[in-house]
Amino acid sequence: MDPAAELLPGTLDLLILKAVSLGPQHGYGVLLRIEQISGRRFRIEQGALYPALYRLEHQGLLESEWGTSDNNRRAKFYRLTAAGRARLREETAGWQRLVAAMAAALAARPEKV
Amino acid sequence: MLAWLRRLRRLRSTLGAVRRRGKWESELDEELRGHLELRAADLVRGGLTPAAAARQARLELGASEAWKEQCRAAHGLRWLDQLRQDLRFAGRMLRRGPGFTAVAVLSLALGVGANTVAFSVVNSLLLKPLAIASPASVFTVEDRRFPTQSFPNYRDLRDRNTIFAGLAAYRQAPMGVETADGARRVWGYLATGNYFDLLGIRPLRGRFFHAEDDRLPGASPFAVLSYACWHNRFAADPRIVGKTVRINSLSYSVLGVAPPEFHGTELFYWPEIWVPMMMQPQIEGHSWLDQRATFNCLLIGRLAPGVTPVRAAANLRALGADLVHETPTWNEGIGLRLAQPGLVGNALRDPMRAFTGGVMALAGLALLAACANLASLLAARATDRHRELAIRLSIGAGRGRIVRQLLAESALLALLGGAAACGLAAVLLRLLSQWRAPLDFPVRFEVDPDARVFAFAFAASLVSGLLFSIGPARQTLSADLNQALKGGSAGGSAHRRARRGRGFRRTGRAGPAGWWPVRDLLLAAQVALCCLLVTACLVALRGLARTFSLPLGFEPRGVAVASLDLGLAGYDAARCAAFQRRALEAASRLPGVAAAGYGNSLPLSIDQSSNMVFRAETTDFRLAQGKTATVYQISPGYLGALGARLLAGRDFTWHDDARSPLVAIVNQAFARQVLGRPNAVGMRFRAGQGPLIEVAGQVEDGRYVSITEAPRPAFFRPILQQPNETTVLVVRSALPAGEMAQQLRQAIAALDPRLPIYGLGSLRQMLGFALLPARAASIALGAFGLLALMLAATGIYGLASYSVSRRTREIGIRVAVGARPAQVLRFVLGRTALLLVVGSAAGLALGFGATKLLTSIVYLASPHDPLVLAAAALVMVAVGVAAASAPAHRALDVDPVRALRQE
Repeated sequence: MDPAAELLPGTLDLLILKAVSLGPQHGYGVLLRIEQISGRRFRIEQGALYPALYRLEHQGLLESEWGTSDNNRRAKFYRLTAAGRARLREETAGWQRLVAAMAAALAARPEKV
Repeated sequence: MLAWLRRLRRLRSTLGAVRRRGKWESELDEELRGHLELRAADLVRGGLTPAAAARQARLELGASEAWKEQCRAAHGLRWLDQLRQDLRFAGRMLRRGPGFTAVAVLSLALGVGANTVAFSVVNSLLLKPLAIASPASVFTVEDRRFPTQSFPNYRDLRDRNTIFAGLAAYRQAPMGVETADGARRVWGYLATGNYFDLLGIRPLRGRFFHAEDDRLPGASPFAVLSYACWHNRFAADPRIVGKTVRINSLSYSVLGVAPPEFHGTELFYWPEIWVPMMMQPQIEGHSWLDQRATFNCLLIGRLAPGVTPVRAAANLRALGADLVHETPTWNEGIGLRLAQPGLVGNALRDPMRAFTGGVMALAGLALLAACANLASLLAARATDRHRELAIRLSIGAGRGRIVRQLLAESALLALLGGAAACGLAAVLLRLLSQWRAPLDFPVRFEVDPDARVFAFAFAASLVSGLLFSIGPARQTLSADLNQALKGGSAGGSAHRRARRGRGFRRTGRAGPAGWWPVRDLLLAAQVALCCLLVTACLVALRGLARTFSLPLGFEPRGVAVASLDLGLAGYDAARCAAFQRRALEAASRLPGVAAAGYGNSLPLSIDQSSNMVFRAETTDFRLAQGKTATVYQISPGYLGALGARLLAGRDFTWHDDARSPLVAIVNQAFARQVLGRPNAVGMRFRAGQGPLIEVAGQVEDGRYVSITEAPRPAFFRPILQQPNETTVLVVRSALPAGEMAQQLRQAIAALDPRLPIYGLGSLRQMLGFALLPARAASIALGAFGLLALMLAATGIYGLASYSVSRRTREIGIRVAVGARPAQVLRFVLGRTALLLVVGSAAGLALGFGATKLLTSIVYLASPHDPLVLAAAALVMVAVGVAAASAPAHRALDVDPVRALRQE
């Protein structure tokens, strides 16, 4: 397995939105889901997750509800709002443009300049 | 739009969290705890023991308090928490420096309190409308010539105008009302029937009278009581409506009681009873309802909906022109216009506005001085805390946070100051509202503060508190950390301060960020402002003192007076004259009486009558051809008792009665202005279109209506030739006037125990009404002068004691190397003294210019008065010396050994 990479600044929010878009999750569940979908390639500071969740909720991109977790414990579940879905779409598109641009730039060879 | 919605949603999220803060916090805890448990369970599944798993989970999560703080920030809660912290911390800092806090709060309280009182007076007298329905459309109709109108003119205006929904007339009048404890002289209103309906007042009990209750003279014996009258004179009798009261020996039935807040349509006058205008002949004993020559009514009207000021003015002009055309004799020169009601049209409003404007300006200056005081206090404090703030900055406190913290302190100070100012103002205003003029006349100044006034006080203190703390806060931020930290050890502030002022030079320029001169400027400005205020007040007070010592044309010292209204007691003309004579004889026999007489009124009392007078040869009796002259009906001896000097001719005798030729005594202004001669004895004139009157004597000019009037014509007629039931006994004696007054009362009571006596006391007391504006002005100005002095004293004291404590060590060294006390003083307080001198000089110069403004407010105030300028300078020096003396003593008491050991 590759060594875990540091997250680029600003990408945690995007990853959270993506993770929650796959189905409502509590905080720990979001963490596991991100690890799962990224193939455990990111090292995420567990505590940093919560301020990010609160920030997204405050911005109206997520909404939360208390429910019961798998081990029969009360837990706060986050779900994407319509605004959150729209934001996820925008950010995904933006990210892909950035990746494509970076890839093109980095693939440049001397003879093509 | 979308951004706006988003902001709204965030605000709701924050507010939700604030509202259920406890639940919000416990949910956050629970969420993080759940995380730890789930993670630990996963770790146990991976093979760890439960205890190790729990530890590992906690380690992985990290510093949960920090994360929680970030969660709070994410929900917009942090600024609130910080605000609470800031305020708590500010409170602690203020408690730690009680001296600083007390002086700062006191100076704000004084500055803002003075403004609050001034604003409240303006608010009540000029801003607040009358307590009537839709006051915006109600106006007084005033005449260019007088504030009043004749009743026939009123009738014409009422019937012919096209602009008013209603036009009413009213007049204040004394009435003899019989109550459970005898006949009482009560002031009320004669008002036309439409008065209450026009104003839109609802009665508290019963009903008011209407237009149909006021049709024919003498046919509407109805009365409406004020709430206070009903309460005080009729014991709040619940069955008062329908009962009868006797007024001037006639029965009137009580229709209703007015609500407590309604006191007629003049701000200062609190009538107790309203009677329909058609009862005027019965109330006043003679009728002027058909007299075009008698201008006795005030008019108030409600404009019809949609009438513009332009249209109203045009209609009033046309109405005036018609009146001139029809009755030129009495209406030439008429000029009708609308004015705000409440202050006898503009007759009282303009002087009121000038006076309150002046007071507001002075109060503004006082606030500025208070703010300068506050700013220099804050600056001094910022210096003291320089090192503390530098440490906080260097260990990572944000500058913004520190500024907020400083502002929180200022805001807290401002709030305390505002609260103290409100308290102070409320007490003063209550005293002012409860004050009753020493008069037989219901004058009241209702200046109770309302919500608007308190809002003003808090706004003023917040603005001044915050505005003047910005400077010190900025100074803190621009400070050089290194220097501040290097500047001192933990030894003590005195030490640190001494180090900063290195090289025995004035620390001012060496200080961090070079802001010392700003503080000096602040003190100089403050001293200048205070000196300006003191000068202005002294100029005004001296003007007032001159007013009080003006020749009145009579000598009030040693004169006692007593007033009787025989008409109210039901005396007819013959019995009245006989009683007056007997009362005078009884008074003359009292021990110690030097002279005695009686008349219908006194100069400078509120009850003044005037006549149009014409030269003997005049045949054209239009108003413009005659002169207005004040007239009195007097007995022989009246002038002597008052102390008015007879310049030529003779006094009246008891033979100047109805059977002998008509005579009069005139004053110098009458002789000059009416008859055109310096000596008028032997000349003749007419009062109105009456028979010729011969001048028998001439007296010196006096003051009759107001203290500040220009010499005006006045004449006296024998009361035996022109009888009057109102009787003022005037007695001059060597005894104290108060004692004499009591003897007078007993002498009158011996003649008729039922007779109500009013206006009893010394003549000086009776002049209270005439001196009222001047007294009010001198009290207000005196208070401002005192305020300014207090502010100057605190400012100088603050700077001087600061300067001493800052240099304790330096002083120690100087004393140790042999400085003499004078040198020490010059060194420590020289700068303060210099600032005091510079500030005072500037203040005096400003005061010299500004008092020109005062001369328009205070009669006889003159800035060209070396005595005043010298006094102002002397006062400032005295205050400076007094304020700096305690710090100076401290400087001289410095023990060099101890001061140096502080190292």
